[in-house]
Amino acid sequence: MSEQPEALATLRGTLRAWLAAHRPADWRDAATHEQFVASQRSWFAQLVGAGYAIPHWPAQWPGGGRSLAEQKVIYEELARADAPRLLLSFVSTYHAFATLHECANDDQKARYLPGILEGETWCQGFSEPGAGSDLAAVRCRAERKGDVYVINGQKVWSTMAQYADRCLLLARTSTEGAKQAGLTYFLMDMKAPGVTVRPIHQIQGDEEFAEIFLDNVEIPVSERVGEEGQGWAVAQATLSSERGLTLMELGYRMRGALSRIAALIRDSGRADDAGVLRDFGALTGQVDAVCALADQFLENRMKGVERVGDASIVKNAYSRSLRAWSALGVRLGGIEAQTIAPITYGDLNSGNWMADFMNSYAWTIAGGSEEVQRNIIAERMLGMPREPKNWVVA
Amino acid sequence: MISREELRDSARKGLGSDGLMPDATQSWDRLVEMGWFVMALPEEDGGLGLGAEALASVHVELGRALMPGAAIAQMAAIEVLAAAPDFAGRADLLASAAGGERIAFSLEAQGAGSLAWVPDADLAGQMLVVSADRIALAPIVSATHRATWDMSRRLFDVAVGDETVIATGADAARLHERAQATVLLALAADSVGAAEAALEMSVEYLKTRRQFDRPLALFQALKHRVADMRIAVSAAEALLWSRTGDGVSLADLGSLKAYACAAFLHVAEETVQLHGGIGLTVEHPCHLFLKRAFLNAALCGDADHWNAQAGRKSLLATT
Repeated sequence: MSEQPEALATLRGTLRAWLAAHRPADWRDAATHEQFVASQRSWFAQLVGAGYAIPHWPAQWPGGGRSLAEQKVIYEELARADAPRLLLSFVSTYHAFATLHECANDDQKARYLPGILEGETWCQGFSEPGAGSDLAAVRCRAERKGDVYVINGQKVWSTMAQYADRCLLLARTSTEGAKQAGLTYFLMDMKAPGVTVRPIHQIQGDEEFAEIFLDNVEIPVSERVGEEGQGWAVAQATLSSERGLTLMELGYRMRGALSRIAALIRDSGRADDAGVLRDFGALTGQVDAVCALADQFLENRMKGVERVGDASIVKNAYSRSLRAWSALGVRLGGIEAQTIAPITYGDLNSGNWMADFMNSYAWTIAGGSEEVQRNIIAERMLGMPREPKNWVVA
Repeated sequence: MISREELRDSARKGLGSDGLMPDATQSWDRLVEMGWFVMALPEEDGGLGLGAEALASVHVELGRALMPGAAIAQMAAIEVLAAAPDFAGRADLLASAAGGERIAFSLEAQGAGSLAWVPDADLAGQMLVVSADRIALAPIVSATHRATWDMSRRLFDVAVGDETVIATGADAARLHERAQATVLLALAADSVGAAEAALEMSVEYLKTRRQFDRPLALFQALKHRVADMRIAVSAAEALLWSRTGDGVSLADLGSLKAYACAAFLHVAEETVQLHGGIGLTVEHPCHLFLKRAFLNAALCGDADHWNAQAGRKSLLATT
């Protein structure tokens, strides 16, 4: 908040000029996963070199030590320039960083933080077939045997785990007591014997997530974060690593992508169709409201007046708008939109309407489903009573 | 510069604990005492020169209280007169209007020279008539009450005597737009405030009302609906504050008004349903919200009109 407007304007101007010169114009042309991964790696390396990849890290890191106001400027400009989002390194620079920074010991920090800047990628091994919204129900076992833990179990919905070097793993070391109390947190090498990764074939043709099978995988005790039984607390640090900036960036990108709907309206000769204009106008208002909400959320964070549930409101407003945006695209696209077209890796607002529509479920389901967010809003923000814990279904 | 929060706090203090839909005459006197009609007046006219954000803050609070009366019309009239080119008696008129002397004004400001939908016109001696080519003051000859479902406002059809024209041509066009902008922003703010109050009332009711040996608030089916209401009101409020700056176009204010009214309608409709049978009785205030929501939605251009405008603007902006 102590930020001088001039300093922010300078940052904005410098970054805008840099993006004009360096933004890869062809990032939507990746025809294969390999091309997508290669373009992501090269874009991340460029941003690291220019000092824009890790603005939220401490100042000791090159490009770190940026205030929230500066981070906001950076993401606004990345969205404005239609630069590729940092998808491959997202878990590394946010979730892995926050976990290591807040909860790991000095050896672990020294071992892994520098590697992230060199392009080492992390995935998150949290969700399981039986532990989705109810994350504490994790069953993947970790058994201590001498200097190692032996891991057996299955993880699912791990973003880009097929390309990851390392994994933030939540596993069960005890079945006694509360289910949260039996969890322990590990840093796992994805190349360790017994780790098998299988990409998940999604309905829109992408493979953004993977399953991880763990068969007697050995993790050295030195790779445990915190003590045994503290895994749930460490996982909270992981999950709260990124709040607000991504939704702001995505909101701005969706606003930019209103032009795709506009093009559809013009190209189909419906620029004077009052019904179509109404729906487009209503969508514009909805998208603007999401951007305003995300802006307000960040401002409240900067002022230190964020409330419990605020993030849930922004997330649901965004995911609903994304659904509405893509649904209008599908509708206006008519029968043409039902023709399969190759997907654009890493683009949520591609204008491939059916793919975009199906992609929007990632936002209504992942990262705390819409329904979980509604519970948070109702219970923690509005003070409605929580359901009794031990309900048994007859 | 007075902050939004300060205005909110002083408004709540000033309006006190009169509850929903307080007495119209007493409330009017209180608005005058609190200096709310002075807010929009430029400083050189003895006012506070506060901008759209301050006015919206006040209208949010008036909406919260389901305030009866002609506050929106009076403030819009003052804004238009203050922005008008000089005319005989301008200073006196502004001073008396800021002091609570009524100037009638149609909430259908989007129309041309509308003499309908004028709040509390029976209490006013003159009316400000606004259209794109002529702004005029005229004495009120008769005011015929038009009973609307919304009981929190009294609207009239007005007949006027000889007009005194105070602006024509480009000035009139500019002032006509100003009038619409003020009314649209006020209706949006009013809707946000009223929706917030209806939401709070619904949450309290669900926490209190018990069936099947538990509070209704325990049922997830109801929690999720209330959460959606919360999201709708928060989004409308965020959009409101993002459009109180300088240079916001009329189309953007219209789309804001459409969005805020849609949120208010959603919340008001759910409020009646969530209250069950009691919500269908006139003793309970549920219906007051519902009826005000429908009137707000219909005044000064409906959602169909403004969303089409917004769509056209957005289409042109992306050519």
